[in-house]
Amino acid sequence: MAQAISPANIDNIPTIKISSPRDLEEYRQALLAASDPNAPRIVVCCGTGCQATGSVEVVEALKAAVEEAGWEGKVIPSLKKTGCHGFCSRGPLVIIEPMDLFYQRVKGSDAAEIVNLTLMKGEVIKRLQYKPADAKEPVAKSHDIPYYAKQTRIVLENIGKIDPFEIKDALVHGAYKSLAKALTEMSPAQVIEEVSISKLRGRGGGGFPTGLKWESCAKQAGTRYVICNADEGDPGAFMDRSLLEGDPHRVLEGMALTGYALGSHRGYVYCRAEYPLAVRTLTNAIRQAEELGLLGENILGTGFDFKLTISTGAGAFVCGESSALMSSLEGKVGRPRPKYIRSVEKGFRDSPSNLNNVETFANVPMIVEKGGEWYKSIGTERSTGTKVFALTGNVYNIGLVEVPMGTSLREIVYGIGGGIPNKKELKAVQTGGPSGGCIPIPKKFLDINVGFGKLAEVGSMMGSGGMIVMDEDTCMVEVARYFINFLVEESCGQCTPCREGLIRMVEILTRITKGQGREGDIEALQEIGEFTNNFSLCGLGTSAANPVFSTIKYFREEYEAHIYDKKCPAGVCKPLFHYEIDAEACTGCGLCRMKCPAKAIAGEKKKPHAIDQSLCIKCMECYRNCKFKSIRIL
Amino acid sequence: MKIVLNGKEVAAKEGQTILEVARANGVNIPTLCYVPALDAAAMCRLCTVELTEGRRTKLVTSCNYPLRRDAEIQTDTDALRNGRRLLIELLAPRCPDSVKLQELAAEYGANLKRFPESNQDCVMCGLCARVCERVGGRTLTLSGRGVEIHVDTAFGRPSELCIGCGACAQICPVNKIQVVDEDGFRRVIVRGQEASRIPLNKCTSCGKFFGPVISLSQVMANLGEEKVPPPNQSVCPECSRHNLAIRMAQRHFEQYELAPHETVEEV
Ligand SMILES: Cc1cc2nc3c(=O)[nH]c(=O)nc-3n(C[C@H](O)[C@H](O)[C@H](O)COP(=O)(O)O)c2cc1C
Ligand code: SF4
Ligand code: FES
Repeated sequence: MAQAISPANIDNIPTIKISSPRDLEEYRQALLAASDPNAPRIVVCCGTGCQATGSVEVVEALKAAVEEAGWEGKVIPSLKKTGCHGFCSRGPLVIIEPMDLFYQRVKGSDAAEIVNLTLMKGEVIKRLQYKPADAKEPVAKSHDIPYYAKQTRIVLENIGKIDPFEIKDALVHGAYKSLAKALTEMSPAQVIEEVSISKLRGRGGGGFPTGLKWESCAKQAGTRYVICNADEGDPGAFMDRSLLEGDPHRVLEGMALTGYALGSHRGYVYCRAEYPLAVRTLTNAIRQAEELGLLGENILGTGFDFKLTISTGAGAFVCGESSALMSSLEGKVGRPRPKYIRSVEKGFRDSPSNLNNVETFANVPMIVEKGGEWYKSIGTERSTGTKVFALTGNVYNIGLVEVPMGTSLREIVYGIGGGIPNKKELKAVQTGGPSGGCIPIPKKFLDINVGFGKLAEVGSMMGSGGMIVMDEDTCMVEVARYFINFLVEESCGQCTPCREGLIRMVEILTRITKGQGREGDIEALQEIGEFTNNFSLCGLGTSAANPVFSTIKYFREEYEAHIYDKKCPAGVCKPLFHYEIDAEACTGCGLCRMKCPAKAIAGEKKKPHAIDQSLCIKCMECYRNCKFKSIRIL
Repeated sequence: MKIVLNGKEVAAKEGQTILEVARANGVNIPTLCYVPALDAAAMCRLCTVELTEGRRTKLVTSCNYPLRRDAEIQTDTDALRNGRRLLIELLAPRCPDSVKLQELAAEYGANLKRFPESNQDCVMCGLCARVCERVGGRTLTLSGRGVEIHVDTAFGRPSELCIGCGACAQICPVNKIQVVDEDGFRRVIVRGQEASRIPLNKCTSCGKFFGPVISLSQVMANLGEEKVPPPNQSVCPECSRHNLAIRMAQRHFEQYELAPHETVEEV
């Protein structure tokens, strides 16, 4: 009987202290030689999303199935757990390499079949394949799925390919190449210069030019700190988490490069405590990098020290604000500090501190490797590079999307996102997190190019990259209320405008959604909003009113319908609408009658049905299920 | 550095705040959360002014904005007055009986009843917490967040850190903190709630209760004073003064070789 063949394995390469950039290259070559890209491999996404839908169980089941199968004469496939692939709505995801076969919504019970049919016999399991909404045939390869094919994945390049808990795998994919390059070929000033040329702008929300920030920090005397903002408090955002969980070394390398550029030897990652997997991944990554001599003291034998520490935050949204973050890092209450001195001059421990977002750092290694000019060629003139968005809401494909700056909303929502489910109309796209704005789509903005300037121009903002797609069933007054309410709960409360102003705005908005709006409410909202935006202490307060401004600007008639006609045109605010069945459109199929949990619908078969308003609880079941669009919102 | 304040050029030293310069020049800017003895917290935002440096005009709080280059400042534009009016209207429900707010309302034409009352007996200037930290008690802090923020002791329980100095009561602009000496205890009462309860000293000389077991040297040390004598823990200040006078008199008469006992009695 033929023996099973063990796959080529990087685990067999010992961990050593690498003492020069050249040794790093040799080590990398050894790893490359030990890893055969054509060896059979089962890749399972173990990002937080897929773990939530059961990928850990899938891994266990696959492991057992691989062990049970007889691999006579064949190479035993290896099993790899990776970070988030971004297509969370289809998880758990499994990819079979080298064929690049894409399986979605895999369950533990599918494991035996995957091993016995696909890996042993090369047969495809149709049931697990992905079929785009409008397609007839499923898409076999992960690279052909429009969701991936239409993205430009350069920051997320390795996520889904590498095992985030194994630095050797990251090295195979080029990690720490840029650090070695900078340490041998570039002066700190040259690194800053390259980043300035790239026109990279901060990805944490403000869009501040990174090169400029570094330059002002490098000029300061005294101990300098490099701090990574991994607080990611925007509801629904998970770009930073995915980076930290999927490709931690890219972020760490970016920080080390920043340290080198700024002459700093001390770095901190401020990570929100709600990200336990990210913290574990990072802790492990730092330890492994230090073992190999890629972080810590005397990096690669060049004499450059860079020590990194992870600090977990209390998870308040406002702790992402730079001065609050630094207070919190010092062990004090995480409240914004009233300072007109920039943190690059006096920040953490009153020392010069350079704070950047996770994604900003993740862009740095490739800028150093390929040059600022190359980077600048991606994106637009004033917004260079790519941006990772967390696409969610009423769109088919929910997940992480990386596109060049300047990509149109149409391409993101329809091309990558797959469009709007349930044959609904697209109404608006909300970008920029809780203090961003709503861009009305059917009106004129579907073709705007997403970049820092353009989004601000239409009354929204880039923010950290949240993107919520809203269909026709979305009430814009309710949207505004939701976001302001979020900010009321997250306000630190120390300054008067934000503390007292936002709560009044929520009160007014709540009244409007309950049908108790009155003349003057819109003006009062604008008056208070202008005040909070102008008089608040930190960025939370000074941008909080944006959702109200943008919804009033573009959807004023919806506010007016609520206030004057006591109607919610979208059919969301329960006191302000009712459903009626359009007798002409109704075919009497009876579906609504069966679905209605309140038994409020009656009618004979094949005759128009009717709703008993006194029983209706406005749960939307009939509206959502009617195949003939015969339920009207009135 | 050329500083133009409300259209008039004024003298200013680098690093001085706008508020300091304004006050030195007789320009009034309203404040709620500022006292010169404490670092500015810039919480109330009432002192917001309009600042033009270079080509950029922005709103800044004058109590903590350090002037570092040429600037033009407006302290009383319509927009600012309007903002202050709304600020007072929004803050009023928290502390309807604040005299200061009533005065400000008159000045800025604010309607104190615009928003429904939610009386907390506090204008949230944070001064008590800041002075407490500064003096070294670290008893009062701002707890909670958002609309729930309030002055409190740790865990809302009477604090053991209080040194009974009473600075909080002194500084509170709305007089909602009381210091009560009763039955051998000093109690600090913040908005009706006991924040601390510390034993008072009993004078070994006259038997009356006096000052709390307040560590005067701790206060002084916290304020950066050196060489402060330890306070007398057992004799009340009055008896202490009395005894000192007696001792001094004794020494004086001894110098002139007078019989101490008789003379002291006469003194
Ligand atoms: C209320 C508030 C919350 C913020 N939260 C975050 C956050 O979660 N992550 C982040 O990177 N930046 C956040 N920021 C922006 C940071 O203050 C800061 O601008 C950013 O981290 C700088 O990095 P960058 O230049 O790389 O963007 C927040 C700002 C405000 C005002
Ligand atoms: S704006 Fe809001 S979050 Fe920022 S300091 Fe003021 S109260 Fe706190
Ligand atoms: S006095 Fe300046 S903010 Fe309160």
